[in-house]
Amino acid sequence: MLATVFISPALLLLLAMSVFPLLWALYLSFTDYSATRGGPARFVGFGNYTAILTSAQVHQRALTTLIYVVGAVALQTVLGFGIAYLISRRTHGRGLLTTLFLVPMMLSPVVVGLFWRFMLDAQFGVINSMLGSLGLGQVEWLTRQRTALISLIVVDTWQWTPFIMLIALAGLTAVPKYLYEAASIDRASEWFRFRTITLPLVWPLLLIAVMFRAIEAFRLFDLVYILTNGGPGVSTETLSFHVYKVAFLGFNTGTASAYGILMVLVVIVLTQLYLRYLNKLKEG
Amino acid sequence: MRHPQQIGRMSAPRRKVQLATAAMLLVATTMAACGDGQDDGGKASAPKAPATIPELTTDPLTLSFIWFDWPPAQALETFANTEYKKERPNATIKVNTVPNANWHDAMFTQFAARKTDFDIAILDSQHIGEAVTNGNILDITDFVKTNIDVAAYDPYLLAAYGQFPQAETGKRDENASLYGLPLLGDTWTMIYRKDLIGDKPPQTWDEMISVAEKCQADNPGVSGLAFHQANGSDAAAVTYNTVNGVYGGNLWDSKTRKIDGVLNDAAGHEAMDVLVNKMKPLTARGSGNWFIDEVNAAVAQGKACIAFNWIAASGGLLDPKQSTLGTTREQILDKLGFATLPSQKTDLVPLGGMGMHVSAYSPTANQTEALNFMKWFQRADVQKKWAAAGGVPSRTDALKSPEFLNAGPFNQVYADSVPRMRDMWNVPEYARLVDIENTNVNAALNGAKSPKEALDDIAKEQQSVLDSSSRKGGGGL
Repeated sequence: MLATVFISPALLLLLAMSVFPLLWALYLSFTDYSATRGGPARFVGFGNYTAILTSAQVHQRALTTLIYVVGAVALQTVLGFGIAYLISRRTHGRGLLTTLFLVPMMLSPVVVGLFWRFMLDAQFGVINSMLGSLGLGQVEWLTRQRTALISLIVVDTWQWTPFIMLIALAGLTAVPKYLYEAASIDRASEWFRFRTITLPLVWPLLLIAVMFRAIEAFRLFDLVYILTNGGPGVSTETLSFHVYKVAFLGFNTGTASAYGILMVLVVIVLTQLYLRYLNKLKEG
Repeated sequence: MRHPQQIGRMSAPRRKVQLATAAMLLVATTMAACGDGQDDGGKASAPKAPATIPELTTDPLTLSFIWFDWPPAQALETFANTEYKKERPNATIKVNTVPNANWHDAMFTQFAARKTDFDIAILDSQHIGEAVTNGNILDITDFVKTNIDVAAYDPYLLAAYGQFPQAETGKRDENASLYGLPLLGDTWTMIYRKDLIGDKPPQTWDEMISVAEKCQADNPGVSGLAFHQANGSDAAAVTYNTVNGVYGGNLWDSKTRKIDGVLNDAAGHEAMDVLVNKMKPLTARGSGNWFIDEVNAAVAQGKACIAFNWIAASGGLLDPKQSTLGTTREQILDKLGFATLPSQKTDLVPLGGMGMHVSAYSPTANQTEALNFMKWFQRADVQKKWAAAGGVPSRTDALKSPEFLNAGPFNQVYADSVPRMRDMWNVPEYARLVDIENTNVNAALNGAKSPKEALDDIAKEQQSVLDSSSRKGGGGL
């Protein structure tokens, strides 16, 4: 009884803030409910789900999101692991370097978005100014179709590479030293040691970091909102940004709920498959 | 083990009890979150304000507005707290502001919650349809009849900021209901560099383009044109709509609710071609996400020959602290000229500005105070003071008054533009219609779509929004 009393506040909070909204969104996803129009919610069956899954607009946003997730997470993994590897080999100033590299991760995405927006400005931004001093031409970073998406990937990478670095550094630190000592005695090359000792031991941890980053990147909203507002046109609109528009421009709450549920399902299914692979890797 | 029975899995009946408790909690949470049900089932029409103002409270009261963050918002708060407090010392005016891009969402998410932290929503004219249909603002038709001298206004201004269904351009339906009163009139002004192109502003759109072209060629580092191109708010949409109007196009046929075939007719395509292929090449590189502030910055830094911006946002251009064009207001005015928009096939200009609308969810005492404030604000003497304080009034006598005409070099532009104004669609689907137009015009301006493809997409997508009311599921896509 005492245990129930102690856990009930947390349970109530969980029910009110997490379980209920999810179930309510699930219910709304089968209706044509609009938060502003009021009136009763009419049941539309799987109408919202069918419309979303067959919508060319949604397909376009899904492709944009996929390119973004793959590009950003791949770049962050390579850079994050590379930085962690270099830091792990240092004996002096490791703590200071790690702290400095972690700073971008601690900033609010809105702040990051705003100052990168200024830095990437085609007219007075520092990036174009630097390119100009090198004799290179101006680049329209945020207003051209290709460069806008690349800019988003670069900014996200700047902010979140430290996360991968931190996890990778934890993995690298945990590799037993005697393995390297044994390899040295066998006169194994640096590359051989990296390939056969370092990478296999850090790999599972790195994959978990990749999973967290991929889930986060899949939900990207804030940077898009601040940097490009989805433009030019809709070329950098991600799925989350599109859900926001459906939910708050026309207040199509039912459709937005179905859209959100589908996004959750995609994340759950992909994460499950990924975790199974990780378990197999662990067992192997 | 002192309490072996408490360790390990609990018994089945006990688990059932706990599951039942959890389910009950969930149901209770659901019911609490759903509220009294009246909200959702409430009929979708605006509640009526009383014809006469009930007795006002003598207790301290804060009358809250919601607007977007720009100089007129600060001007309104200062003006109202100075002048209105003389009559109502217990009332304090607070103008809450949000970034322009969040303005619609900030108001309508609160309307959706049926609870607002503002008493007066400053709605764009196009927001009225959505707010009225959803029952979010008071119907003030009877209040206006009793308290406001409607003959003192240009009928279209009164209609544009308050009437629903929408008034035809230049007309007002005397029998239609009113849901708001004018707060701030506005339209675009053409800002031109007198020192670069001469004192006489271009008279036609084609002339304006050729003057800008020559100015850009003669002055390296200065772009010929600067105008709104961003895909947020209504930036790029207003730009296209302006060119569309000038070249004789129409946004829609309001009677048949037809957009496809109307917007993208020959005149519409010509306007899009002019905008993308003739005007865009005269703008600064990377200006594809410019809105009010960026255009003002380009003018203030002497980087544009001709620019277009809202009059209400142009005051800062005369501030020497924000400008490189001169160290005094007079020096800046020697270089900057303000004129009405050039005409071409028509002389239409965009209608800007906003009205005051009373939140249906505000407490009764605050609604009463809001009505009293609106009545006070529309008085002839107050409108002239508002004009002198930097506001743009809507009463004809105030528009013609020296207080207004001498307050800024662009105020004559506004007075001359009033008979030429055209608004967008004032329908509940406005937010989606403008987003479609914004994103597609922005795509055309930034090379992501061809002008023809962009205009045809706008027409097709907007038409599907207007036609989608009978669709089962998937609304909003």
